[in-house]
Amino acid sequence: MEILVCVKQVPDDSVKVVLNGSGQPAIDKIAPVANAFDTYALEMAARFKEANGGTITAVSIGPDEFKTSLKNCLAVGADKAYVVTDASYDGSDSLATAYVLSKAVAKIEELEGVKFDIIFCGKETTDSTTALVGPELAEKLGVGVVTCVTELALNGDKIDAKQETEEGYNTIEVAMPAVLTINKPHYDPRYPTMKSKMAARRKQIPTLTSADLGTDASLVGAANSAVKTISLSEPTKKQAGIKINEKTFEETFAKAMAVMTEAKIF
Amino acid sequence: MSLTDCKGIMVVIETADGAAKSVGLEMLTPAKEIASAKGTDVTAVMIGEGLEDAAKQAASYGADKIITVDNNDLKAYSEKHAAVLKELIEKYKPETVLIGATQNGKDIAPIVAGKLGLGCVTDVVSMKLGDDGKIVFTCPMYSGNILSDNVIDTVPQIATVRGGSFKKGEPKDVELPEEVVIAESMPYGDIKTTIKETVKEISEAVNLEDAQVIVSGGRGMGSAENFKLVEELANVLGGVVGATRAPVEDGWISRAHQIGQSGKIVAPKLYIACGISGATQHVTGMVGSDYIVAINKDEDAPIFDIANVGIVGNVMQVIPAMIEEIKKLKA
Ligand SMILES: Cc1cc2nc3c(=O)[nH]c(=O)nc-3n(C[C@H](O)[C@H](O)[C@H](O)COP(=O)(O)OP(=O)(O)OC[C@H]3O[C@@H](n4cnc5c(N)ncnc54)[C@H](O)[C@@H]3O)c2cc1C
Repeated sequence: MEILVCVKQVPDDSVKVVLNGSGQPAIDKIAPVANAFDTYALEMAARFKEANGGTITAVSIGPDEFKTSLKNCLAVGADKAYVVTDASYDGSDSLATAYVLSKAVAKIEELEGVKFDIIFCGKETTDSTTALVGPELAEKLGVGVVTCVTELALNGDKIDAKQETEEGYNTIEVAMPAVLTINKPHYDPRYPTMKSKMAARRKQIPTLTSADLGTDASLVGAANSAVKTISLSEPTKKQAGIKINEKTFEETFAKAMAVMTEAKIF
Repeated sequence: MSLTDCKGIMVVIETADGAAKSVGLEMLTPAKEIASAKGTDVTAVMIGEGLEDAAKQAASYGADKIITVDNNDLKAYSEKHAAVLKELIEKYKPETVLIGATQNGKDIAPIVAGKLGLGCVTDVVSMKLGDDGKIVFTCPMYSGNILSDNVIDTVPQIATVRGGSFKKGEPKDVELPEEVVIAESMPYGDIKTTIKETVKEISEAVNLEDAQVIVSGGRGMGSAENFKLVEELANVLGGVVGATRAPVEDGWISRAHQIGQSGKIVAPKLYIACGISGATQHVTGMVGSDYIVAINKDEDAPIFDIANVGIVGNVMQVIPAMIEEIKKLKA
């Protein structure tokens, strides 16, 4: 089984992001981490590999610093990693990113002499939260896609993916190759061990550029992206309501009931 | 697709058991405003089976034209819906396509955007017409802590719209508009997925997304046994049960009830948060609620920052007392 996991490095999502003086997200002091949903995808891929054999390659489009998260990926399940770095890709929207990823898929397949059977993406990133890249990548590659997957099983030359729905779940059969976008499964990603960290440190992470990928310069970067962000703002704070904390439970409760009845919420 | 011959707004309305989902009708409000400012019209699109009543609903909320693709093959949402929507966009050439940001909406939008090479934005919470005639779409990022204003350079353009972001208009008692196109089938192209099984885990008749009242429980409920109090309070209020990720992962309640970044985005009239700390990943899914009540024993819990009423106390004391009082009020 040849598996590719797409990973984006994002600011640690347990830290609240605000705007800085120039109206940009103040993220330079927030620790960079692999996008949480991508770590769920990698863990699912690692378990799938343990059950069915194969190789896991992680790929990230972004600056050289993204190697930080790729190193971590190498310590928790990925066998190989590539970073795709090119200044011309800066500011690409989801469609342009999906295009670059599709070219990266082809290039890595050529370099490794393999064909990927499954491409895992997180269901969304915790920074821009568009949830678009996975399905758009599938369309670029002309393969099937299942979104919001929380479990999967091999079924001959197909995959049975458990997809979350509004009321519960679907089991969806999809032919390989396929793109899957992953939501949080019922388990957590594994932690690296001393040994796996050491092994990861020794691995090389090759860099691919636009010249390697042969991407069309008119389809990438901020200027050639369909979606243009014109400004950022912080949401208006919800007006603080009242907090009731009287000496006894009875007093607190009576006061709370009075406020809520007054507001006619029941 | 060429720029010049695309016009009007296509609102894709999802249906469940023959009725339009709220977000579909909500989207007609901004769609009509923008269309009338631009001198164009609004076409409601419905893809499914048994769509007559939903078509009437769309008309009563102001759709100028209606297209239904009504076919047994399309009863449950699947990849086929994306194939049909792509055909409809190519055929009717709207300038803008609005889709409710439900689970299915977020699945169909990028598939169609990818097929047609169209720009797409997700989870729009507000939109307005800019001076240059372009729609400015406001979308949350970083768990809703930052909002981005975006324009899209492609025509058509696609946006998914978050439920609860716009108010439904007043329904009018109207006949179906003259322009109703009913298509029974469309080419699906090469289908790569098959639904083998569909399991419902939510027992309530109402979806969380459309619920007026949601009572949610968090880790602070302490156990599966205690979590039943959340269900009981929801019952007396005629509401639906929600949860944070913690009780879902501990198996106190099924995953379909999870609210937040990896669950559902909800915007009920009343949201009662019981034993919930208020992590951004949860808050992003419920901050749009009209009235928020929070019960937490920790007076510094972040949930109190967004609550209309914060009750500092033990859920095991507060909830049973509330159930009693509400029963009295309703009697
Ligand atoms: C990528 C990602 C996605 C996520 N998606 C989601 C999501 O979709 N939804 C979600 O909810 N979370 C999500 N999370 C998890 C989120 O970060 C929090 O961990 C989670 O919301 C916490 O749930 P909680 O408030 O129930 O638990 P806690 O944070 O543990 O809070 C429990 C609260 O209960 C209070 N309490 C305890 N006992 C009592 C008592 N007897 N009476 C009253 N109060 C009491 C405590 O004071 C505390 O404030 C996600 C996290 C990540 C990283």
